Amino acid sequence: MKSTFAISLLAAAAAFAAPSHADKLDDIIASGTLRCAVVLDFPPMGMRDESNTPVGFDVDYCNDLAAALGVKAEIVETPFPERIPALMSGRVDVGVASTSDTLERAKTVGMSIPYFAFEMAVTANDKSGIASFQDMKGKTVGATAGTFEAIALEKQVKEWGEGTFRPYQTQADVFLALSQGQLDATVSTSTVAQSNVKTGNFPGISVVGKAPFDIDYVALFTNREEYGLINYLNLFVNQQVRTGRYAELYEKWVGGDLPSLTVDGVHR
Amino acid sequence: MFNYTFQWKQAMARLPQMLDGAIVTMQVAILSMVIGILLAIVLTMFRLSGIRILSAVAKAWVEIARNTPALFQIYMAHFGLGSFGLHLSPFLSILIGITFNNAGYLTENFRGALKAIPDTQTRAARSLGMGAAGAFRHVVLPQMLRISFLPMTNQMVWAILMTSLGVTVGMNTDLYGVTQDLNALTFRTFELFALAAVIFYVITKIVTLGARLIAARLFRY
Repeated sequence: MKSTFAISLLAAAAAFAAPSHADKLDDIIASGTLRCAVVLDFPPMGMRDESNTPVGFDVDYCNDLAAALGVKAEIVETPFPERIPALMSGRVDVGVASTSDTLERAKTVGMSIPYFAFEMAVTANDKSGIASFQDMKGKTVGATAGTFEAIALEKQVKEWGEGTFRPYQTQADVFLALSQGQLDATVSTSTVAQSNVKTGNFPGISVVGKAPFDIDYVALFTNREEYGLINYLNLFVNQQVRTGRYAELYEKWVGGDLPSLTVDGVHR
Repeated sequence: MFNYTFQWKQAMARLPQMLDGAIVTMQVAILSMVIGILLAIVLTMFRLSGIRILSAVAKAWVEIARNTPALFQIYMAHFGLGSFGLHLSPFLSILIGITFNNAGYLTENFRGALKAIPDTQTRAARSLGMGAAGAFRHVVLPQMLRISFLPMTNQMVWAILMTSLGVTVGMNTDLYGVTQDLNALTFRTFELFALAAVIFYVITKIVTLGARLIAARLFRY
């Protein structure tokens, strides 16, 4: 009798002690902090200002998301190849890291609807004689490892069957190699190309034209099974556009024609 | 906190590509060792030569190779030389970087080995009518290589592992580079890097066991 009582007491205690199921959205709200993976080597999306503070479109976007959730934003710097390990090991909650929403990647992580769209531009070393995308055939070209344009360019070089493709670890290394003449040309997002040429840190290079790759839609990402959070992210992206905040941030960091985030002829 | 479903099949499907990468890794490691040993012998002779400028060269080489990160040495081979207009391919940059490192460490190994060979042997060789060079080549050098054989194996393992630094200079054909390329494509980070780690482990294990077997056969007294 005594033991039955003890067992039922234990069972009751266990029932209270067992955590009620909280999803990631709950966890973020409860913890009071939203930890965003942001690439800070990708101006103007993510970079550091003179006082070494993270700034950029993605940084502002993370701050907006945190404000919407009513929590504090924490920017976690993650180079491109380390975005997924950072998420999987629980160091970050959400990626606001200009991540292209490829189907291959969506098998591993959960993607929101696109929050930004890039066009690709060719930047060439002035001595290489490259004046268009087609001129890159047979040359030494490169891009930042782990990006949409790197994957597309590597595929293109294989298709051409001549020339070499080299991925570098950071955007800065790509432009350094390009400026030194180690690379003849690179494909990068036009925003990155313009802002790097403008800095004057990399003499002897110019943007020579567009690359005929698909528009690179980038999404926020989190764990694949966190439907609650993904739903929230989708609505958040929608609201950013609806309230004009997207246009405001675009004007602040990039400028020019606002890229549309919708595709004609399909539901979403 | 760690919730992730491992998809080993996806990673295993990429195994052939990664093994191709492992071959390139071995090419770099073996070449860098062969050239590194030859350079280290030359540097050791510089040290022994008693000519001040030559021993200074050897000393500077060893100091820089041993006291700066290998990553820095490889980066300098690519971007450092690049800023002077000397453009090396990623393969050559990593090869030169690792060879530089190997030669520095091996020279130091050889110095240790030389200390284990009594001076009297050189004197005995000279008294038999051998020249200084002949005594070094026929008496000292073989013993030096024998004594430092196992430390050399160590450096070989180190060279294999250092190839993973090639990604910083745009290398994408070695094991680590291939793995990182596949990671960008699929985001299957954990499976791919676990597989790469296993391949690295197996390679280095084969190298160390093989070296021990060779040593047991060659160096029986």
